[in-house]
Amino acid sequence: MNGEISILVVEDDPVIVEFLQTGLKYEGYKVSAVHTGKDGLQLLLQESFHLLILDIMLPDIDGFEICRRIRSLEHAIPILLLSVKKEIADRVNGLDSGADDYLSKPFSFDELLAHIRALLRRSGAHPGQTKIQSGDICLDTQTRKVYSKNESIDLTPTEFSLLELFIHNPYRVFTRETLLNRIFGYSYDGGTNIIDVHIYHLRKKLDDKSHQLICTHYAVGYAFYPEKK
Amino acid sequence: MKKSFKYISLKTKLTFLYSVLLILSVVFISFYSYWNIWDLFTQNEVSHLRSKAKPIIEHWVSVHGLTDISSIPVKFTSQTALLAQDLTSKNTVAVILTKDKKIIADGRRLPEEPISVPPDDLHFKKAMSGINEVIFWKNREGKPTLFFLIPLRPRPGSGHVFGVIQISTTLSDINEVLFRYGTMQVTAVVIILFLGIVIGYWLIGLNLNKLQKFTVTCQEVAKENFTQRIEVENHRDEIGKLAESFNIMIVKLETIFNAQKRFSANAAHELLTPLTGIRGSFEVLFRGAQDDPESREKLSKGMYQEVNRLIRVCDQLLGLSRLENSSNVGKQPVFICDFIQDFRLRICPLIKNNPLAISAGPFLTVQADPDLLEQILLNLFSNVVCHCPPGTPIVLGWKIVSSYLEIWVSDEGPGIDKDSLDHVFEPFYRVNSIEKNGEKGAGLGLALARSMVEAQGGTIKVFNENSKGTTVYFSLPLF
Repeated sequence: MNGEISILVVEDDPVIVEFLQTGLKYEGYKVSAVHTGKDGLQLLLQESFHLLILDIMLPDIDGFEICRRIRSLEHAIPILLLSVKKEIADRVNGLDSGADDYLSKPFSFDELLAHIRALLRRSGAHPGQTKIQSGDICLDTQTRKVYSKNESIDLTPTEFSLLELFIHNPYRVFTRETLLNRIFGYSYDGGTNIIDVHIYHLRKKLDDKSHQLICTHYAVGYAFYPEKK
Repeated sequence: MKKSFKYISLKTKLTFLYSVLLILSVVFISFYSYWNIWDLFTQNEVSHLRSKAKPIIEHWVSVHGLTDISSIPVKFTSQTALLAQDLTSKNTVAVILTKDKKIIADGRRLPEEPISVPPDDLHFKKAMSGINEVIFWKNREGKPTLFFLIPLRPRPGSGHVFGVIQISTTLSDINEVLFRYGTMQVTAVVIILFLGIVIGYWLIGLNLNKLQKFTVTCQEVAKENFTQRIEVENHRDEIGKLAESFNIMIVKLETIFNAQKRFSANAAHELLTPLTGIRGSFEVLFRGAQDDPESREKLSKGMYQEVNRLIRVCDQLLGLSRLENSSNVGKQPVFICDFIQDFRLRICPLIKNNPLAISAGPFLTVQADPDLLEQILLNLFSNVVCHCPPGTPIVLGWKIVSSYLEIWVSDEGPGIDKDSLDHVFEPFYRVNSIEKNGEKGAGLGLALARSMVEAQGGTIKVFNENSKGTTVYFSLPLF
């Protein structure tokens, strides 16, 4: 669903670039990454992006300066600054030089995603839609109500999160570990059987007796198919 | 009392001491001058009366034929009343006494004239022995009265004394004058003391208030506000000099404080950046990337790199702090020629693409820590490998410069730009270039090298060699 949205990452640390690229791609964004400010500015002028993630400490031009240059060109791209510096003065400096948001390292990836969503929503690139229709199922993230064939279904919060994840990522096969991490957090210690239990209840509530909606991939995990096979 | 004196303010203390000194000196001076004037007046009065009495007495002696010693006992007693009367005036009474201290004539005739009193034995005997200057004070009818005795002789300068004239005077005029003088002086003393103490208190306060500025500035500096300076009014006085030194100290403090702040900010950056990479990679893995073997491998490799980087930074930071204590330097004799040969063998894997030439100096032994020495050279060589294109030739050499052994490492790489040259030894300073081999240093290599050289008593310098290459020199003391 994020396939249309392209993000430019300007960051000199190769490992941070690597995880940003991988993680954001998994979330469905199109990601380009460069290591220096000069390359970043050049790429920004050549192609169009929906969002810029910018590190402040770059080897050539610093992030503040890049922000100022972009704004002086009357480029309206939303900019998310990343920095190790946590002081208020640095945040103020960052926002004053033209950035839209500031995130201090080390950040949580979930937080980064939330910031990206907020920035995209504000810039209009990301429709702030709350209702998602997928096949017969309609899911409202704001009211947390689920309708199947226009009939309301009562789901527990865990089941709702599972369904939301599946609807956002149709056809993608999730392993039980991944589902556990995404639903219960990274530090959850229990076994993966709990996922099977929740999937069982979800299938029952969605009336998915033939496992065509939520399909089991043996020895791998589960995937969601909005159109019945 | 002594303890509480310690805790009162300097201003009060100084004013108190100053006032005590002022009171003592003014009171002493006024008493001294009062006594001097009183003495002068008395002497003056005595000599005046004496000079008035002298011709009268001499005339009386010659007229009554007392010049002949043998006729004295008869004539003396009968002819004295007139003399006494002649010598008596308004405030002055004369009494004539015989050798036996018997009053034979009293000049007092009127009741307002003072009553005469016989002298003490001591004074009388003095006068009888021929001393002219017998002066003493006594209270008569409650008034201080001046007495003086004149021995009677047949001739001036004669050793024979046949009687004594006692003249006493109340000195009422002099007392009047002295009383006025005393009153005036007491008033003056009170005014002087009052003004002196008030002005002194004000002046001391004025000077000490300058110190108040120091207190305010100190408090500001303690709040990490280094923009404050103390205005220097006078460059020569003590407070002016103190202010100047104080301002210099603030500048120094600011430099050190900023360096410290920069150091911790940089250290935090160097530690937090790899941690960001590791945390982010973990989270991306947990979110599902672990299911894809390719992403899993890439992210794991990255995390491994970041962990190694963290370890390297921690090692270097520990190295820097360890070198601040010079007792951690284990000096021992190092035979430089063997050392360089060994080092050449060990460095081979690192510089496999760079040809290394040795420019040998004299074969000698220095006192150095071989581990530190190797670490210094290793840091210098890895800089060359990081910042120069592959295949850049390196020269390692040594020579003697006065009492130091100078070792240098030079390359024919791109050199260091001028702006960076002054900063390369600062911790975490990195020359703005992308490292060639991908391994990013923390910018501590040269800082460490400098600490290691200085811990052994040497110095380190870096130069650009005529637009081609860089040379780092470091020296070690020979003895």
